[in-house]
Amino acid sequence: MATTTAKLNISSADLTPGMALNIDPPAMTMYQTGTTTGLELLDMGAGKLTQATGADALAEALGTADTTNYVYICNKSTDIQQYIKIGIHDTLIGHLGSEEWLFIPWNMGDAVAEINIEAEDSGTIPYEYAIFKSTFTLPAKT
Amino acid sequence: MATTTASITINSDITSNPITITKEMVMHKFQSNIGIEETTGLQAKKFAATTAVVIVENTEGTAAKASKVYIRNTGSSTENFFYVALNASAAAAATTETIGRLYGGDWMLFPWAATAATSHDITVAPNTDEAMTLEFMVFQE
Repeated sequence: MATTTAKLNISSADLTPGMALNIDPPAMTMYQTGTTTGLELLDMGAGKLTQATGADALAEALGTADTTNYVYICNKSTDIQQYIKIGIHDTLIGHLGSEEWLFIPWNMGDAVAEINIEAEDSGTIPYEYAIFKSTFTLPAKT
Repeated sequence: MATTTASITINSDITSNPITITKEMVMHKFQSNIGIEETTGLQAKKFAATTAVVIVENTEGTAAKASKVYIRNTGSSTENFFYVALNASAAAAATTETIGRLYGGDWMLFPWAATAATSHDITVAPNTDEAMTLEFMVFQE
């Protein structure tokens, strides 16, 4: 059984004056849906995304719907004007700025709950991602 | 200007060559090098029903900006979880648009566009009426 953990720390000495911030929870272990068995499926890569008029699917919901999966995405651009729109299907989640990352659970709620990304506001943005999955179904041969 | 940093370390031996992902980011305002200067503060809320609840209203952020949201299920259950969603009043498996399940000990940190509509409220719904606690914090722009 594989073991996958994710550790977070958020800190600031001056966001809340007189009260230093230090959020430092224990590392979480990523399990398969509703079990204590570690995840065993991984999709990891890097790419370059060019500004266009629409979003591209980083990952289709090609697994069992409503399961436990986790997504890490990092905008590798150092240009502060360049950001990535992150969405699930038609819903915009947020803007991932240069050198920023996100980490979210992803339940693949239905067949159209794809993770999509779109480069803004110009040029080409390098990115990295890792998706840790409970289930995955290969797309049908064309 | 405040400086807030968030670091992540992921370790996995799913592949035959173990991987480590380590990344630190400074939370900046949208298209800027200026650090985020406002926050809701760290909040904790206990739930004991499966009713969906809005924990962050869209008005707590600004549309088309770069707020960040931290949420963590402080429990330890691998069976009980919160659905986390962006929508007005519900957070079930296939509701538009559920993001995912947050089990005991799980956390998430994500950028939040805070589009000025209830479609961008952050809503959670426990899958059980057993007591569970969520802690969350919005880094606002």
